[in-house]
Amino acid sequence: MMRRYVADLHVHTVLSPCAAVEMTPRNIVWHAARHGIDIVAITDHNAGDNVPAALAAAKDTEVIILPGMEVETREEVHVLALFDKPRQLFAWEKVVAAHRPGRKNDAAKFGAQFVVDAEDNLVAEKEELLLASLTLSLAETCEQVADLGGLVIASHIDRPAYSVLSQLGFIPPGLELTAVEVSRRFSCAAAAERFPAIGNLPVVTASDAHTIDDFLSGPKMAFYIAEPTLAEIRQALYNVNSRGVVW
Amino acid sequence: MTVNDIVKSLPLTVVAGGDGLGAEVTGGYVSDLLSNVMGHAAAGNIWVTMQGHQNIVAVASLAGLAAVIVAGGAVPERETVAKAESEGIVLLTTALPSFAVVGLLYQSGVKGQ
Repeated sequence: MMRRYVADLHVHTVLSPCAAVEMTPRNIVWHAARHGIDIVAITDHNAGDNVPAALAAAKDTEVIILPGMEVETREEVHVLALFDKPRQLFAWEKVVAAHRPGRKNDAAKFGAQFVVDAEDNLVAEKEELLLASLTLSLAETCEQVADLGGLVIASHIDRPAYSVLSQLGFIPPGLELTAVEVSRRFSCAAAAERFPAIGNLPVVTASDAHTIDDFLSGPKMAFYIAEPTLAEIRQALYNVNSRGVVW
Repeated sequence: MTVNDIVKSLPLTVVAGGDGLGAEVTGGYVSDLLSNVMGHAAAGNIWVTMQGHQNIVAVASLAGLAAVIVAGGAVPERETVAKAESEGIVLLTTALPSFAVVGLLYQSGVKGQ
C-alpha cells in the first residue's frame, strides 16, 4: 500500500568520532519511533559496525533501518552509500577495510569511536582512524556500491569542504550517482538554482545528525512509496510510477 | 618564463601535454579544492595540487592554466593523463610535497597570481 514515509538518510552514531555519546543506535531508534521518523539510514564515517545494533534495536518497532555508510573517497569527497540489506553493507565494508589508511585513531584529538550493542553496552572501541580518506576513488566507490545493489548520494554539496563540488569543482560525468544532498543550511528547491552543476540529479536533504538535537530538528525527506526500500526511494526521487517526494 | 624553463630547472616529470611546454607562465597557484581553483587561479598560472582526478584537466582548461603539477608523489588517474593529452594540458608530476614545489617555483621567479 502506498503511504508517506518520513526518512532521515544521513545519521551518525557513536562510532563516528565527531558524534555525541548520546548517539547510540538504541537512542536513535527510540527517538525516531517517538517522533514519527519511519526510515533511518545509519551512516558512520568509513565503517558500519553499529548497523547490527541499530537493526536489533529497531526489531520490535516500526522504524526501518537502512544499512549505510558515509564514505570518504581518495579525493576527500563524502558520499552516502545506502543499502537495503546488512549483508550488502558488510560486503561493502570489506572493500572499505582494504582501502582505509590503516592509521590508529587518537581519541583525545579526533573523538572516540565506540561500537555498541542494541542495549547501549560498549562492545569495543574501533582502533582504526575512520575520519580519513580511503584509497578508493569516487568513481570506484560509486561503481562498487552500485554493483552491490546500493545507491550513492553525494553528501552536503553546499558545504565548503568534503563535498564533490568543493573538491572536484563539478560532478564528473558518468558517475553512478543517484542524488545529491544539501545540508540544513539549504532547501532542496534553492539548491538547483544555486548549484547548476548538479544538472538533473535529484536533491535530497537529511539531518547529518551528530547529536539527538540535530536528529530531531534537522531536515528530513518524506517519500510517497509502497514500501521502505531503496528501489522505491529511487523511484520517488525520479518521480516515476506514482512514487514521489512529498512535503 | 615558459613551462619548459620550469621543467628544466625543477624535478618534474612531463606526463602529458608536452606540446604545450612553450606556454608562458604568468604566476602560480596552489590548492586541492577545485572549486577554489576555478574561482581564483588566473590564466597562465602554473597550478600545484595533490588531486589526480580527471576534473583537474577540465579546471585547468577552463581557467586557461599554463600547466598543472601533481605533487607529493600523487599519481594522476589514467583518465586524467588521457584527457590532458587530448585537451593539450601540460600535466607534470613530482615526488616533492606541494610546499617544496611552491618554494622552488618562487625561487625561480614564479610569484602568486
